[in-house]
Amino acid sequence: MRSGTYRYGTERLPAAARTADLLRSIVGATRWTNAAQLLTLLRGIGNELAGIGGGGGNGGGSGNRDPAIGNVIRRVMYAARDEADRAPVDDDDDDGGGGGGGGGGTKNSSSTRGGGESFLSSMLWAHPRQTAVGASHHRRMRSGSGSVGMISESSEHHHYPPPSTTTSSTQVYPPHYYARRDDLRPSVMEAIQEMISELEDLHKNINEQALQHIHNGEIILTYALSRTVELFLKAAAAKKRKFQVIVCEGSPHFGGHVMARSLAEAGIDTTVIHDAATFAIMARVNKVLLPAHAVLVSLANGGLIAPSGSNMVALAAKQNSVPVVTVAGMFKLCPMYPHEGQDTLNDLISPSTVIDYRLMGDPVLSEVEFANPVHDYIPPQLIDLIVTNIGGFQPSYIYRLLAECYHSDDWEAFE
Amino acid sequence: MSDQSAPSSCTPDEKNAATSAPSAKNAEKKEKKAKPADLVIPPKKPKLSKAERRALQEAQRASKAAGGGEGGGKSSGGRGAVDIGGTGGDSGALPATSGGGDGPTKGSRAKSVNDEEKKDTVGGDERDSRGRVSGEDKTISLFSHLPRPKAPSEILNHLASISSYNLQSNFMHPAIPTLGHLYTTHSLLGGNARCRAMLQTFALLLQSYTPPSASRDFRHDIDHSLLKPAFQYWTTQCRPHSVSMGNAFSFLKLAVASLERELEWDAAREILLESMEAYVTERIEYAGKAISRHAGSKIQEHGDVVLIFGKSEVINRLLLDAALVDKKSFRVIVVDARPLLEGRDTLAILARAGISCTYILLNALTYLMMGEVTKVFLGASALMSNGSVLSRVGTACVALLANSNHIPVLVGCETYKICNRVQLESITGNELGDPEEVACTDCARVGPSNRWNEMFDGRGGGGEETSEKKEKYVLADWKDKPNLKLLSLMYDLTPSDFVTGIVTEVGILPPSSVAVLLREMGG
Repeated sequence: MRSGTYRYGTERLPAAARTADLLRSIVGATRWTNAAQLLTLLRGIGNELAGIGGGGGNGGGSGNRDPAIGNVIRRVMYAARDEADRAPVDDDDDDGGGGGGGGGGTKNSSSTRGGGESFLSSMLWAHPRQTAVGASHHRRMRSGSGSVGMISESSEHHHYPPPSTTTSSTQVYPPHYYARRDDLRPSVMEAIQEMISELEDLHKNINEQALQHIHNGEIILTYALSRTVELFLKAAAAKKRKFQVIVCEGSPHFGGHVMARSLAEAGIDTTVIHDAATFAIMARVNKVLLPAHAVLVSLANGGLIAPSGSNMVALAAKQNSVPVVTVAGMFKLCPMYPHEGQDTLNDLISPSTVIDYRLMGDPVLSEVEFANPVHDYIPPQLIDLIVTNIGGFQPSYIYRLLAECYHSDDWEAFE
Repeated sequence: MSDQSAPSSCTPDEKNAATSAPSAKNAEKKEKKAKPADLVIPPKKPKLSKAERRALQEAQRASKAAGGGEGGGKSSGGRGAVDIGGTGGDSGALPATSGGGDGPTKGSRAKSVNDEEKKDTVGGDERDSRGRVSGEDKTISLFSHLPRPKAPSEILNHLASISSYNLQSNFMHPAIPTLGHLYTTHSLLGGNARCRAMLQTFALLLQSYTPPSASRDFRHDIDHSLLKPAFQYWTTQCRPHSVSMGNAFSFLKLAVASLERELEWDAAREILLESMEAYVTERIEYAGKAISRHAGSKIQEHGDVVLIFGKSEVINRLLLDAALVDKKSFRVIVVDARPLLEGRDTLAILARAGISCTYILLNALTYLMMGEVTKVFLGASALMSNGSVLSRVGTACVALLANSNHIPVLVGCETYKICNRVQLESITGNELGDPEEVACTDCARVGPSNRWNEMFDGRGGGGEETSEKKEKYVLADWKDKPNLKLLSLMYDLTPSDFVTGIVTEVGILPPSSVAVLLREMGG
């Protein structure tokens, strides 16, 4: 498992990629026979990683708070649910799956009916936490489901205890998840593999859109260090677009220095400025490119978690009517709402970069508070475009993509 | 050459083509060639001006010499980089020259072409920007209208030349370069401090001044030999003057001009010294007290959280008065920004006075601003007549954030800093700082003049330490890297919409009243 120490400006992509690899090996190696077991397994992994420091959400791990890890797991869970909801390829008969047999029987009758049942049951199971009050309640819900074939058999199955005990509420799944499905494994593995290859091709897909957004003669402002933005700009420069880049240095971490160096080496005309000069220079800037630690979505939100200081840049851009473009992979899409405002997914790290410890030794200065947050929350009104590997979207549209990426049951999976 | 011959050979053909009917392709060709022949043919040799011809020669010479020697990114970057100075037409004639790798000779020849064409300096920068002439190639076109900051080596050379300068006929009082050196090394910062120092130096100069001969009017002589050279020296050789300095200097010239002709020098000197004294006392000291009183009334007894930026004499005074004299209890958040990190001085002053403080850098501003800040106090270097505020770089960002969170912003500024200029944004009137300040990321630096201290320490034998430090910086070798520029600005302009009120010694005014105040003061 990864250690949770936080380094500013680390790329999210390697963490996400390794999570996907980890999932592949665990899911491949573990024995699980039905979707419920798989989902519980995944949830357990998610909680473990959140405990170390991934997954995001409040309370959980200290330090890292990397939501990308949780997102990857959620994607796989969504794929698993998707597969489980689909009719099985072959008819499997099994002992433990009496309900499954019944379910399979009904499913065998017509795939559409199976689809209809799954929709019905998914409607019923839309808010599983509410149904987890007790098994009796459980039974009541099931008896209300109206599909006769499932009731009698499924009553034998509700005593399946969910294996994970760490979650505060026991997660229950729709009954057909408990059916044994041997065909699930290859399709889930395939889904994980797709996820891995999406992560591998992430920058390639994002950079294909570089030419749409970067044109000759533009002055582009960017803030601090971001691998995604850097590759985006280099892709445009490689296609012979001539533009200038102004990089804010991003104190106190000075990611901007590293970024500027790298861009200059790629032949892009780069200027480094202090963060304080952002507003001053904004009058001449044509476009602002911001990186994102996470893109927050819930309902109509579309705000960003970005490096600390980006909110100021976005505000200055808004004031001068300069478009703000965020470049981020889809794996950064987080199904959470910024309830805590600026504290969402944020951390206060050591002030050693803000003021030197030698100066802080002064007894007078030891009474002084210092604050060094890592991230800023940028509200969606300040963002004009989010460029992802599946295309460019406005922030108010991003919530629609949620439904394609994650299942609503998994949104608060790891808190 | 071929062009010239073509139409002449074409003309007889053209007639044939018109009559006969050759193949379509030939007809097309002939038609195209025929078109210019139909018109009144201007002489085929293009009318190049002398400069353009030279440029063409340069291009041919360079393309022969360049061979494959173009650093791809370098020259293409140089050629294609946007020329904000508006000399887009320049790039057409010069791209080949930018590829030329042969050194100084090309550079100088290209430079002369440049001068001849009287284009913007950017073209010249891109052409010889192999890092050979450090400092020149790193000019940023956006700010080419501003004087370049002095590099430390230049200052040292200049100082060395002063001593020989004094031996010549034009004697320069040693106080002048002394003060100038303080300005250049950023040892003396802040509008009030610089202005006071300037007036003190002028007082010193006046005391040691003797009028030449009785016949000449010493008023003119003072102006000509004392005031103007000193001021020009400071502005051109040291650091561009601030608005406060400029206004004080105008006042002084006016005072000199309004002396009566028949006065004896001693009496005149007394009058001048008194009026300078009065200027400082009234317009700086008393104004500061009045501002402190007006703004202090806006601080509540308990529970205010005041945000300030950088270091401002007026603001420090008002906070100290509120805490120590009026015994109000409030918290202060000190926001600081690179490169000058003046906020540390403010922090020391306020913390020692017992005010509970928080210190952050500019990036953390969003985090703190949304919660608890109740008011923002900012200092100013100058007030423009349209109500916008020229202040230390970063002030505009603070005002912007405060405005978007609906937090009132009060700017404390004496009336003598009001300038009758109008400025729309921060680029038209600004000052360039030392670009090395951007590269040097050491947060332990204790003061703005650190680079000078480092340099002198290095000479004194602490050289190893400083060179080690230098290697740690990511951008330590920025001068050698093509395409990389560093920009350090000293000021920025806060638009008047962000300012809730301007606190002056006459009261708290809305930004729109600044022009009225200027008029009332007779500016």
